[in-house]
Amino acid sequence: MAMRNSAAIIFFVIVAIFIILGLLSIHPFGDTSDINTSMDDHIIQNTQKETGADNGVTAVVFDYRGFDTLGEATVLFTAVAGVILVFRRLNK
Amino acid sequence: MSGMSKIVKTISATILPFITIYGLYIIAHGHLTPGGGFQGGAIVASGFAMIVVAFGSIWTMEKIKEKHLSIIESLGAIGFIGLAFFGLLFGAKMFFANFLVKQDVIPFFNQIGQGLSNINTAGLLPLMNLAVGLKVIAGLFAIVLVMAYATSKIKEGTAK
Amino acid sequence: MAENILIDIIHIIIPILIVASSFVAVYLKDLIAAAIAVAAMSLLLSLEFFILQAPDVAIAEAGVGACLTTAILVIAIRATKRMEDEA
Repeated sequence: MAMRNSAAIIFFVIVAIFIILGLLSIHPFGDTSDINTSMDDHIIQNTQKETGADNGVTAVVFDYRGFDTLGEATVLFTAVAGVILVFRRLNK
Repeated sequence: MSGMSKIVKTISATILPFITIYGLYIIAHGHLTPGGGFQGGAIVASGFAMIVVAFGSIWTMEKIKEKHLSIIESLGAIGFIGLAFFGLLFGAKMFFANFLVKQDVIPFFNQIGQGLSNINTAGLLPLMNLAVGLKVIAGLFAIVLVMAYATSKIKEGTAK
Repeated sequence: MAENILIDIIHIIIPILIVASSFVAVYLKDLIAAAIAVAAMSLLLSLEFFILQAPDVAIAEAGVGACLTTAILVIAIRATKRMEDEA
């Protein structure tokens, strides 16, 4: 068990070093000055004209990125089908 | 689980309509205010999960079967993908084309947004919100109900 | 200016509470108490999303994370053992 704990500590330290090195190079909080924002600007300025929706997030989710929502619905359908399939034998 | 005390049952049955109305409000106003089909459906499913916890899964399974929930969820999925395929026939002739907005032939949801109170806007988005909301309500409630019923059978020792 | 300082303090406190409740969820041997700690972590995460001006994600996190996940975890724990074994 001591070997398992030491292996866990070594793995934790390695992952922590990688995460800290990654976090040192991110942008400052709330700073968008040096990020490419042309897609965001187009969506923010044209959502109300193109889709007529006031909520831009729903317009993006259901209109601009409809395929993403289709995949999400497929994932939920598969999850429900799997749960009902697994527990059907117990329900009889 | 054979249900909790009478106080919990009364409070749950009293507060369920308010949770349901709030979730349906979030679904119906998904294109105007924060929220949408998934969020409102999760709220309504949480209310039904509260009923399962308070009244017991056996009592709830007598009222509604998971077969009916599967039918409702499949209806939501068919509505969503059918609205997406209707975009191939009308309007911009694309998959997921928003064909109800910017036209005057069909007077439903065809206006451009004029403030937060005009619900008659945004074309296909309210219908898709409704379809996804039905799907999420039925799906999440079916998961909770089926798992609770099966585990109560395990507790009683009658599972095969 | 005072509002900015208040928001900054909240931005510091809430992630600390999220990490603390996650540690509590790992540390506890009673699995139902650990499930409640996970629910508290999810609720604090929802509050953090709301402060970061993402109310859509906050509603989804509060509904799914704090209600349905807790219900499913408690149902699963009820069918197995409640206390975690000393391994």
